[in-house]
Amino acid sequence: MDQETVRTICYLARLQIDEDKAQKIESDLETIIEMIGGLQAFDTENIQPLYSPLEKTAFMHEDIENSDNQKEKFLQNAAASNEDYFLVPRVVE
Amino acid sequence: MSIQFKTIRELREMLDEKAISSEELTNETHKLAEDLKYLNCFVTMNKDASIEKSKLIDQADNNKSVLSGIPLAQKDLFCTEGLRTTCSSKILSNFIPPYTATAVLKLESAGSITIGKTNMDEFAMGSSNETSYFGNVHNPWKKGYVPGGSSGGSAAAVAAGIVPAATGTDTGGSIRQPAAHCGITGIKPTYGRVSRWGMIAFASSLDQAGPLARSAEDCAILLNEMSGYDSKDTTSLDIESTDLLHTINQPIKGLKIGIVKEFSLGDLDSEVQNRFEDSKKLYETLGAEFVEISLPNISASVPTYYSIAPAECSSNLSRFDGVRFGYRADNTGDLNDLYIKSRSEGFGDEVKRRILIGTYALSAGYYDAYYKKAQQVRRLIKNDFELAFETIDLIMTPTSPGTAFAFGSKGAQNPIELYLEDLFTISSNLAGLPAISIPHGKVNSMPAGLQLIGNFLREDQILNAAHIFQQNSAFHFDKPSMEEF
Repeated sequence: MDQETVRTICYLARLQIDEDKAQKIESDLETIIEMIGGLQAFDTENIQPLYSPLEKTAFMHEDIENSDNQKEKFLQNAAASNEDYFLVPRVVE
Repeated sequence: MSIQFKTIRELREMLDEKAISSEELTNETHKLAEDLKYLNCFVTMNKDASIEKSKLIDQADNNKSVLSGIPLAQKDLFCTEGLRTTCSSKILSNFIPPYTATAVLKLESAGSITIGKTNMDEFAMGSSNETSYFGNVHNPWKKGYVPGGSSGGSAAAVAAGIVPAATGTDTGGSIRQPAAHCGITGIKPTYGRVSRWGMIAFASSLDQAGPLARSAEDCAILLNEMSGYDSKDTTSLDIESTDLLHTINQPIKGLKIGIVKEFSLGDLDSEVQNRFEDSKKLYETLGAEFVEISLPNISASVPTYYSIAPAECSSNLSRFDGVRFGYRADNTGDLNDLYIKSRSEGFGDEVKRRILIGTYALSAGYYDAYYKKAQQVRRLIKNDFELAFETIDLIMTPTSPGTAFAFGSKGAQNPIELYLEDLFTISSNLAGLPAISIPHGKVNSMPAGLQLIGNFLREDQILNAAHIFQQNSAFHFDKPSMEEF
């Protein structure tokens, strides 16, 4: 886990690590990844991954409209919004 | 008449006999919460709305359900309409949900009264409640000691006798471990029994909601109400509902209990071992039989969990971007800068650490080696349980390798030290199995928990075994004095 890898992961996760904490985070990640690496010792040949303990497929339901438009209620939690939209810094010049 | 430390059953009797009104009970509960504020159990109180509801309950006809007028606390990870829900994170410190989580709605529809929202590890990531943006929760048994986590505020509020029960969630032990550290009872149900709709997701294939209470019987009362199919949650199980109270008092003669040989209990603190042996003896006198079982892949539980949970967390927490809800940083440049600054200022260190591990495990070139590999090992672990349950009814382990510890004493140098707190609890999340923790005495004057893991959807069996244990012991009656606070 070199600094470059940590920088890439941070960017992918849209996170910035404070300078004074960078070294600690790096060594923590290294330790955890090493622990997870211990899984390589387990023989999983021909074993299907278990992504959920239920292994059920999502059910289908009729496409029936059953909720009201609650736009105002949902926009209330946004840091910036107008009557119709969430507002963000300009993306297209 | 004091209401502190009362069970749901006891409060129900008081209400039915008109020894207290629902309004008085609600007011008394708020007074207790205020008097014990130093424990830091609550993030947000629901004072006005709860008193308003209690008045309506008092005015309603008799023939009330068991939870009618009973005060409960909700972990601050369940969305509650109109009531701030923070997940104990700065990034949600201003979030007012537009809807209520199904599990909470079911409890409220049964007449219970939400007193407030309890403190927790930030986004449920922690085993000590030390990662909360709103500060540490004190263990009512000892000042400056952790209550366990992540449902630490819920566990402490019940242990301190403020509320008879509270909701929690359990991704790797977050109901059972704090229940154990605080000397109360807590159950993580089978994955899919309780709807996850409205629960702020940490690791979706592991998270499950459940109750913490003063007894197994009270846990059954809450779980009866919380359970049930919910079309809003695609992982909700469409099964016939069972009354968990109906079977709770059955004799347990002939019950086969498995002891996992790979857990090497001989390596634990001798007092932890002694409590375990004492509980084993009690069960034997009650007619249970013990069988040594093997779960050959169980040693992979912790690394499997710390690959899967962070991966799911990194995906789930990508929704917190400062745009639609939650904290938004000031003085941002472009949109990307807004995301980065809002997330970096909004999340705490442990949450960032787990997002980064998860992002790494899911990134190109590492997916097969870490994430897929962990999901394959997860199947091996589940297969081990399935095989074991062909010959036994339930599995018994200590809930935690030790007891509550002092703030800051674990995990500061090496995070894995704290991750090992969940050594005995994690595997039932990976396999989706129900498990309960009940108090079974003290280790170095702090409460210790006994864990019973059941087969898929066999909450009836673990609640039955836990209740019979409590009918024949008095550990669950122990109360913290809180004199040193």
